[in-house]
Amino acid sequence: MATSRFCPACLSSLSTSSTLLRLSRTTTTTTSIPSAIQHQIRGAASSQNALKYRRKDTPASQKRKKARSTFLQPNLKNAIQFSLVDAMRYLRASEVAHPPQQSKYELHIRLRTPKNGAVVRNRLRLPHPVKTDLRICVIAPPDSAAGKAAKAAGAVIVGEDTVFDAVKEGRVEFDRCLCHTDSLPALAKANLGRILGPKGLMPSVKTGTVVRDIGSSVREMAGASEYRERFGVVRMAIGQLGFGPEELSRNIWAFIEAVKRDISGISDQTAKDVHEVVLSSTNGPGLSLDGTFRSEGSLEAKGLGVD
Amino acid sequence: MVSLPQRMRKLQTKLLAIRLGSGAVILPKDVKRIHLRFAKRIEGGHMGPRKFMQYELIRLKYHNPAVSMTVDRTALAEDAAVMSVHFTQPAEDGTDAQLTDRVQTIDMKLRNNSEILEQLVQLTKAQPVEPTAEEIEELKDLEEQRVKGARDSARSAEVRARVKREKELLEQARGDMAAQVA
Repeated sequence: MATSRFCPACLSSLSTSSTLLRLSRTTTTTTSIPSAIQHQIRGAASSQNALKYRRKDTPASQKRKKARSTFLQPNLKNAIQFSLVDAMRYLRASEVAHPPQQSKYELHIRLRTPKNGAVVRNRLRLPHPVKTDLRICVIAPPDSAAGKAAKAAGAVIVGEDTVFDAVKEGRVEFDRCLCHTDSLPALAKANLGRILGPKGLMPSVKTGTVVRDIGSSVREMAGASEYRERFGVVRMAIGQLGFGPEELSRNIWAFIEAVKRDISGISDQTAKDVHEVVLSSTNGPGLSLDGTFRSEGSLEAKGLGVD
Repeated sequence: MVSLPQRMRKLQTKLLAIRLGSGAVILPKDVKRIHLRFAKRIEGGHMGPRKFMQYELIRLKYHNPAVSMTVDRTALAEDAAVMSVHFTQPAEDGTDAQLTDRVQTIDMKLRNNSEILEQLVQLTKAQPVEPTAEEIEELKDLEEQRVKGARDSARSAEVRARVKREKELLEQARGDMAAQVA
């Protein structure tokens, strides 16, 4: 129907003849044209007027839906869930063709949360650290007590002006950066935010990287990993591929407990809740965990740690 | 995001592919380790080993999680492509004997993945894993869903193409009209 009515060939012939028709209409009698065609012509020709009086509000069917304020929460009854040992067995199998040092287990905690509001963000030292070769930089005078404590705790780079100069030359040879409270003015003066900011390395009070007790923070950070909520999910590398199920389960519980603590910490601003816990690996599928350690049909746990 | 049942179907397909297929064999208890060494690139007969690693080794690892399986791809194209199978004699008191008793190798060069698997099965006398009745049922269901899905998507693609064409014609007609007026 629509195609035949708005067929371009017909339309062009119609519109080219429309001026003629109009002429004929003005010169001769209007009644000669059947009323239906006349109506059509008028509608087509007087579109200036039609434009003026066109409906401005779009019909309800085309109106944009109101955006939802929370993230989708699928019903987990329909999901296939796994015990830890079963999930690990699948992940180990799918990681077999990849170098074992590169692959990690990852945990994704999906939250029931509104889209706006405060987000979960913190650092955590897992019972079994995933990454041990973290290079930490401490901004403090190297010969002060704080500087010495930092060195003793395992910081790789300690200094003030030397660090600033190195960073300005583009040599950022560290993965984490801490700053002593007394050195903060010097750091602010050095104007490194342009370089360190995008890398997420700029120390600030808000992220807890400007501290007084440097030694213990360095020690805490050496085995710690950061996590934050993005799009309603908190993700973190949770273990090396060589971990056994017991080690991994300790890490998982530590992480979940930490996230729950953070959630209760911001509960007065934003109400959140853990919805789903998914274990995956660098190259493997994501498998939803059901919270149990092993299921009926699963294997002995001891074999899962071998490469 | 696609619906949960759709995602679960995809996941189930993936997991079944890890469980079943060529390479789903259970190695005897005396096999302790399997090590593959071949080149990074396929030239010089290194394609078969790579295919073996991509397909068979995954299922082998799933059914034998306690067997250590390592891959070394630092060999050069002209080097041999070797699979070494390490056997350990189980000790009398039931504890794992740590010393590897014998190592047997399979030449993988210029062989395809099924030939390599055949050789491995022969060497170790591994038992193949047969799909259970449930798994066969599941595979059948998934296949049915795939066929149905393909049919439905073809049908809806047709409808969408028609709607799009009509819309385009309408748009074109409106454009012509505006040009006429101006």
